[in-house]
Amino acid sequence: MIKNFIHQFASPKTYIYQVDRLYPYILYISLTIYLISIFWGLFLTPEDFVQGNSYRIIYLHVPASFISQSLFMAMAIASAIYLIWKVKLSVYLVRSIAPIGAVTTFIALISGSIWGIPTWGTWWVWDARIVSTLILFIMYLGLISLHDSFSNHEKADKFLSILALVGSVNIPIIKMSVEWWSTLHQPASITISNKPAIDLVMLYPLFGSMIGFAGIVTCLVILSSKLQILKRERNKSWVKNYA
Amino acid sequence: MHLKVKAKNLSYKINEKKLFHDISFELFSGKAIHVQGDNGSGKTTLLKIICGLTNQVKGDLELKLDKKICFLGHKNALKQYLTVEQNLSLLGVSDHQDLNKHLIEFALNKSLDVTLSNLSFGQQKKIALLRVFLNDSDLLVLDEPCVGLDQQSQKYLCSFINNELTLGKSILFSSHISLDITSEVLNLNK
Amino acid sequence: MNIIKYELLKLRSKSRGWLGPILVFILIMVAFPLTIEISNNDLGQSFFSVLWIAMLLVMMLATEDIFLEDYNDGSLDQFAISNINLSYVVAAKIFIYWLLIGLPISLLGSLFCLGMTNSIYLASHILPILLVTSYIFINVFSFGNALSLTKGSVLGTLVTLPLLLPLLIVLGKVVISINLNLNYLGFVGLLLGVLSIIIFLIPLIISYIIRAHLE
Repeated sequence: MIKNFIHQFASPKTYIYQVDRLYPYILYISLTIYLISIFWGLFLTPEDFVQGNSYRIIYLHVPASFISQSLFMAMAIASAIYLIWKVKLSVYLVRSIAPIGAVTTFIALISGSIWGIPTWGTWWVWDARIVSTLILFIMYLGLISLHDSFSNHEKADKFLSILALVGSVNIPIIKMSVEWWSTLHQPASITISNKPAIDLVMLYPLFGSMIGFAGIVTCLVILSSKLQILKRERNKSWVKNYA
Repeated sequence: MHLKVKAKNLSYKINEKKLFHDISFELFSGKAIHVQGDNGSGKTTLLKIICGLTNQVKGDLELKLDKKICFLGHKNALKQYLTVEQNLSLLGVSDHQDLNKHLIEFALNKSLDVTLSNLSFGQQKKIALLRVFLNDSDLLVLDEPCVGLDQQSQKYLCSFINNELTLGKSILFSSHISLDITSEVLNLNK
Repeated sequence: MNIIKYELLKLRSKSRGWLGPILVFILIMVAFPLTIEISNNDLGQSFFSVLWIAMLLVMMLATEDIFLEDYNDGSLDQFAISNINLSYVVAAKIFIYWLLIGLPISLLGSLFCLGMTNSIYLASHILPILLVTSYIFINVFSFGNALSLTKGSVLGTLVTLPLLLPLLIVLGKVVISINLNLNYLGFVGLLLGVLSIIIFLIPLIISYIIRAHLE
């Protein structure tokens, strides 16, 4: 029964048509949310007691790093779906998320470096969380290069999904790295169990910017996945009608 | 006479391009099938599908075997840096009673301590064929077994295979040259 | 059991396969003090970093053709067809590589540690860590090698190297813990735990990858 359910939604053709309908809504709503949050965060919140105004890069850095890790988990789940149920759309998604994830991780690293200059005095330090995020970036690039080096697409898909699954052990390491090793990077301010360590006034734009950024990244993933589907299914008849 | 292999409407694609489609056959014990076709028509791929190395894209394949499959492909699966004797021990045939008989026929019984890389292509092929000669299976899958063999060895191989057929084994082989084996023909050309 | 014997015969006879990496390791460890002034007392501190990196590189070198040779001459096809479980074959191969390359290197590394720091305590405590770490390295690099079996080993190694970097971070902490004598057994337990998971999972994953390559 689950098989039927999945195969119903797994047709790339249905996916593209549905996604085309939703795309403008997602794009405009998330852009609005993100810009409002940024504006709120940049101009309407007070200065931080310790860091002054430089903390404001949190509205770019935190969403970027959170999204980059979530994207990798999404890739791992999609890879598992592909390996178990052989749904081709899943692996198209994995391949299309990879470059977006790489860019998001890059943004997280760069914004983190920029934040480091006023607060820590240095733009790079070899601490566990930063190095693990760098590893995440390299893994994204490795996934892309591994997939593109095989001319036989079925093989390439299998290896991509295996590597994405195996590489997903890095995500818990990133998340726990701040707890396991006492490092320079500050621990998480927002946890499920405790009260947030950050002031509520700054928390709301942070949530807003996370949602907005997530929406923008979703639009990018949609665009990338459309490209992958059209590229891989170009011999099918519905593609000729679509384009 | 038992049914050993039943194939129905097998087809295979590479990167969305069809290689062969709707291939069906039944292989009984004591019978042989000769797979024919032009270069690139998919003979090796079909044999690999029967062995279970590759999966067909469409169609059903049923194998009813009591023992395992003996496969000899284009590659010999021998180690170049080991001697003939060590390679035979890797094959697991060192104590076989018929080993010496076949070695004498192939004129290799004096070469047991020669490193494999010092043998010629045909001689290495003969050592690889020992896997077939001393097999313990009920399905033999041979991909162009006579490549590199001299006339005498080809005749020896064919008579051996005919003998195996009388013992009730099934043989599936591909060859460009016609071999003296009683077999049905399966042609892969469209 | 037979498989292990066969793999042992294969690797033992191919002396460049196991002797080469051991000699490279010795070379690196001998060359290291030459690049630092003799009067420098920091030799002990940077020694361990060189030890881990040397082991990393040598394992990368050693597993470069762990499956390639068998793939090229058709032995992997035969293994895949036979009744033997392919993951058992892979596990046996990795074990033999560890026995003939990882084990000697761990012993040598421990000896070099003795020579460099003159402390039997350090050398004896680093030996189990080296043994377990070399096994983990061989497993992960074999995984990388299997992934890019047909495209040369560099791609696969580069792609799986990031997975080992957290391990290197842990190894750095281990040395500190030995020096300060705190929580050493905890780290050994951690490494053994990681190894026990890897030892079962990696052969299964590699056998799946190899079957995908053979198609």
